[in-house]
Amino acid sequence: MTPLIELTGITKTLRGQGRARSILAGVDLTVHSGESVAILGRSGSGKSTLLSLIGLFDRPDGGRYLLHDRDITRLPERRAAALRSAEFGFVFQRFFLLKHLTAAQNVAMALVNGQGWLPRRKRKARALAALDQVGIAHLAKHKPPRLSGGEQQRVAIARALVREPKLLLADEPTGALDTETGNLVIDVLQAATERGCGLILVTHDGDHASRMGHILRLSDGVLHPVEEEAVA
Amino acid sequence: MIRLSGRSRSALIIGLQGIRARKLRTLLSMISLFLGVLAVVVVQAGAEIADRALLANVELTEGKDGTQMIFLPPDPKAVHVALDTLKGSRDAVAMVGTHAIIGEPGVTPINPGAQRFDRPGGGPVFTGPGGPDVLCYPSGECIKAPDAGQDAPPPGQAIEVALNAMTGDIRQFRPYRPIAGQWLDFTGPPSMAPRVPAEMRIDGAIANATPRIIGVVDDGSDQPTAYVRTDELLNWLPETVVGSGANSGGVQVLTAPAATETQQILRARLVAAGMSASDFHIETINSKARIATELALIRWIFLGMAGLVLLIGVAGILNVGLATVGERIEEFALRRAVGTPRSLLAAIVLAETLLTGLFTAAAAIGLGVAAVQVAGGILSAREPSLQNLQFPWQAGVAGVVAGLVAGLLGGFIPALRAARIPIATIMRA
Repeated sequence: MTPLIELTGITKTLRGQGRARSILAGVDLTVHSGESVAILGRSGSGKSTLLSLIGLFDRPDGGRYLLHDRDITRLPERRAAALRSAEFGFVFQRFFLLKHLTAAQNVAMALVNGQGWLPRRKRKARALAALDQVGIAHLAKHKPPRLSGGEQQRVAIARALVREPKLLLADEPTGALDTETGNLVIDVLQAATERGCGLILVTHDGDHASRMGHILRLSDGVLHPVEEEAVA
Repeated sequence: MIRLSGRSRSALIIGLQGIRARKLRTLLSMISLFLGVLAVVVVQAGAEIADRALLANVELTEGKDGTQMIFLPPDPKAVHVALDTLKGSRDAVAMVGTHAIIGEPGVTPINPGAQRFDRPGGGPVFTGPGGPDVLCYPSGECIKAPDAGQDAPPPGQAIEVALNAMTGDIRQFRPYRPIAGQWLDFTGPPSMAPRVPAEMRIDGAIANATPRIIGVVDDGSDQPTAYVRTDELLNWLPETVVGSGANSGGVQVLTAPAATETQQILRARLVAAGMSASDFHIETINSKARIATELALIRWIFLGMAGLVLLIGVAGILNVGLATVGERIEEFALRRAVGTPRSLLAAIVLAETLLTGLFTAAAAIGLGVAAVQVAGGILSAREPSLQNLQFPWQAGVAGVVAGLVAGLLGGFIPALRAARIPIATIMRA
């Protein structure tokens, strides 16, 4: 079965204040459709950097990145934007909802990105369907200040799901939530994997990581497999 | 109907959402831009209205552009040659100026010197070199004014008019536009036909004729003037008197721009009659083009000043735009994360500033329209050319263009900045 993504020997060095620091030193990672992967690691170990490379926010210095067996290691920005729209969904620790828009409009925002055009009625229908997937369709007309943290994160997840991505990239999505609400958010993300969507979850929470199909730890710039017992 | 591309629609939708989310900022931008756009609208509207007011009647007073005017000296030979050569000509006409008194015989007209009827107190049209006792006519002829106390006839029911005799058909040669005046209506009963039960006295005439008015027109001149056909005038005024120094300022020949053959024949016959080429002077009428050029120069000077005011507004939009982009870094980074290309981010910012410019233009044009309505109502009574004053569409176009240009200039740098926001910003937040 062709993997969804396949990273081989990915390296990345960050340069700042005249100093170069190697963050990733040969990362290998393969994710198939419907698979969920948790990535653990210390703060500053490069988890978010790895996620930004996978999400095509940035380019690796070395290595190879295949998407559906196609090499996308060095993609021009225009094509990278198109792939971000079509293939990936992003969930962040902060929700990044636009306060002046309703929940439905925040979700539909991902559909108004210049990558194809959908009429307003279809945008609204798809936004409502995505909100329904995360269980908050009844809050479609609410603006973010009137939503709880968990509800806001679910709106953010609906925004990530509305374009039916092949791979969800979640960067500490429960970091700003209490345990109970965090568990609800992980439930929603797992539900997406049951529909065939791949999931890479960056987290510090061992309990959440243990609910993923594979657990990896990023240390010294390289990913290491972790046994479930070791996490617990 | 114009169908916008998906990206353009996306930019417009997000731009409008941005404007709605930041109403106060949009209002502040509009205020900073308003004076500049209004200045452009006012200058353009003023220039268009001035153009219409000044150019509308200029052909009536100065003649059609391109017409060649040949001035011949007040010499009976020149008069004879000109009248004879141009008899029946359709591309040239000769005009001889004199003056006439119409009304009761043996009285002093109510407007000696053919002055304006509405000028109170009388007096000469021009004060001649001999002081107020000399009357000078627009033709250049000056006569000794009658002494009011001694030998002047008693005042009576008579008017004095400048009399222009022309070869050919007056109406054909000078196509007065009905909008400038009204031809008399001859379709009514004969008793209502406009006849003057009076005699017309012309110095040197062998008889006093009874004039019949066939039309009245506003020729743009202050002075009451009558136009007659030369062949009719010559029935009672000898050719030797017409156009001679004793009676007028000479002969003026008006030719159409293409009447070169007529001009050559006239010139040859005048020279053959013993006149030198230096005796006649040729001028081409280009008053409309000249006034239009002068007005255009003034318009550009004022538009330049309005442009400077507009630049201040552009600086305001730029300032607000940069501050807004600074506040929306996360939003733009997020939009890039969900697949929005850099070019669309720039287009979103530009759409906001362009829409702000358009809204400002609409407000400025609205105010301009209202001001023109009010000014038209107040000033039309004093200035006939301002009657039926309409807001010129050119001013509306100028306002829209000014608004769009200001939006483009003010939004350009913020748009570039928005497009360059690194996408990883959102990961570090």
